[in-house]
Amino acid sequence: METTLFYIFAALTLLFGFLCVANPFSRNPVTSAMFLVLTMISISGLFILLQAFFLAAVQILVYAGAVMVLFLFVIMLLDLKEAEHTHVRKVALVTGLVSVMGLGVMLVLSIAGSGIVEAPAKRAIGDTKLLGQLLFSKYLLPFEIVSVLLLVAMIGVILLSRKEAK
Amino acid sequence: MNLQLITLEVVVTLIGATILLGSLWLPADKRRHLPLVAAAALVVLLIAHCFAMGVDTTTTLHGFGGGIVQDGFAICLKRLFLASAAFVLAMSAPFVERLRAGPGEFCALILFALVGMLFAASANDFVMLFVSVELITVTFYVLTSFQRHETRSLEAGAKYLILGGVATGLMVFGISLIFAGSGTMSLREISKLDPLPNLMLFNAGLLLVVAGLGFKIAIVPFQLWAPDVYQGSPTPVTAFLAVGSKIAGFALLMRLLRHTSRPETGFLLDALAALAAFSMIYGSLCAIWQRQLKRLMAYIGISSAGYLLIGVIAMAKGFDGTKAILFYLAAYLFAAMATFTVIGLISKEGEDERSEILNGLHKRSPGLALTLTLSIVSLAGIPPLAGFFGKFLLLQLLLEMAVNNAAYYWLLGIALACIVASLAFFFGIIRAVYWPSDVALSRATAPAAPIPTSLPLKISLAICVTGIILLGLQPDVFLDLIQETVRAFRWQ
Repeated sequence: METTLFYIFAALTLLFGFLCVANPFSRNPVTSAMFLVLTMISISGLFILLQAFFLAAVQILVYAGAVMVLFLFVIMLLDLKEAEHTHVRKVALVTGLVSVMGLGVMLVLSIAGSGIVEAPAKRAIGDTKLLGQLLFSKYLLPFEIVSVLLLVAMIGVILLSRKEAK
Repeated sequence: MNLQLITLEVVVTLIGATILLGSLWLPADKRRHLPLVAAAALVVLLIAHCFAMGVDTTTTLHGFGGGIVQDGFAICLKRLFLASAAFVLAMSAPFVERLRAGPGEFCALILFALVGMLFAASANDFVMLFVSVELITVTFYVLTSFQRHETRSLEAGAKYLILGGVATGLMVFGISLIFAGSGTMSLREISKLDPLPNLMLFNAGLLLVVAGLGFKIAIVPFQLWAPDVYQGSPTPVTAFLAVGSKIAGFALLMRLLRHTSRPETGFLLDALAALAAFSMIYGSLCAIWQRQLKRLMAYIGISSAGYLLIGVIAMAKGFDGTKAILFYLAAYLFAAMATFTVIGLISKEGEDERSEILNGLHKRSPGLALTLTLSIVSLAGIPPLAGFFGKFLLLQLLLEMAVNNAAYYWLLGIALACIVASLAFFFGIIRAVYWPSDVALSRATAPAAPIPTSLPLKISLAICVTGIILLGLQPDVFLDLIQETVRAFRWQ
């Protein structure tokens, strides 16, 4: 049952991911964004299979929800009609494919070379309670540093997007 | 919980927050003094950290679930970071009028980036490594595009954002593979694991993390962003990027390689030796014909990263490279800070910093001309200044390694050839400063008036020059100082 579900979700992730970047039927950015939403939802299905329920919920709430709404806003505000006519440069295509192949070969070799790893005993690693306990004990300091990071991001956004005073 | 380990970071964060809030209530004409106030605060903090805070350098302390380590090496690096941020803030004091968007925010961002670097110096697990790198990088996304009324600054920001994003992606992916291959996030625990549960995954992850850090220290083939970003960013930000961000990358790389180094991961060190050679060659060859001063500094930075990588490899192999690396970093810090301060002073707003702006500098401001000459001499590695001795120490290390592995003689030959090649850019600069051609002079639009230099900048330049000369003429004094701090230092 789990294996079947895994293959279904994995296939859907790959399919939607491909349609997001290289849709043969439509070059409309909004369509791509919608396929990105579907990719995120399939990935959250994979997370559920891995018992990472919190991650799955966050994936849908934050990425498929908030972030994608922002993407759509930007696409609609900028009115990206030109994107439908851009051509892919050959050099970019070749170098991109070569680097993706390189990375892919490296991954496949290292995963294949390491053999099939025995599944660890089922632990509720995605459990919110456990996550909260870790965040406020072992990983308290990185958690607090992230708050400084968010402050920096906030200052940056305000600085770079506000209107010139003069 | 051991709050004593992160006192420095907490204090710097508080200074940053105070400046951010304080600038809201300060009248606009007082705000331009904020960089100097922040610089003074950092100098006080640095002196306190050296003499008053009772920092124990002889023991290695761990804290926060093993994520933070304090040892002699981390302490030395933290002092370097404090000094470089103080120099950067001092040189941004005459720069604030050009920034337009508040000086308060600018100082606060510099200080928050400094917090990231301080954490990077003592990060001892992958969570801390990632968080500190991100704090530095995200702050620099904003800082590089701070002059957003200038197209080139925005361009620099966009380039740094995209390539920094790719680097972050590689690094996170690598960390996840390392976790899959070892089952732990702690560097200390990884160094104790024998054998590794899953070597192949671990190696692949390590390769990706090193690639991600490679972007930060700008080694070939991850160097392409450096010249453009250095050119477009505001000069103080370029200085901080060239010194602070680079040293932070090296600090993390050294700890990472030292803890993960084992016979099975030896391939990585060989690959890094090749990258060191390519970085040295690329940096010194591109510097020869480069006439844009900030791009020139980017190429000098790339070749410096190559030399430093030699020290990192030696350290990962178990040689004692701590002193050589710290000495080189200190020499690079003084010379680069002095050069950027002078570049910032003589270039006008919106002007491209081509070497023509140096024409006749000798007649306009002999002091600045001398400072620039000394720091360029040091960067080129000409005896008897600091840069020469730094390179000498690293090459000595290389010679020690070559005894066991003859392949390192090749690297030694390449390094020597690159040092000779780097003399070329030195002559170009010196000629523009002291003997500009008549054609260049007649074309020069710059008035021959002396360049006004404020007292704090004079002090900061004097410190840099003293550092360059003293480190070159009396290296033993500084080496003993380092030795005393890292005396009881063990990687843990």
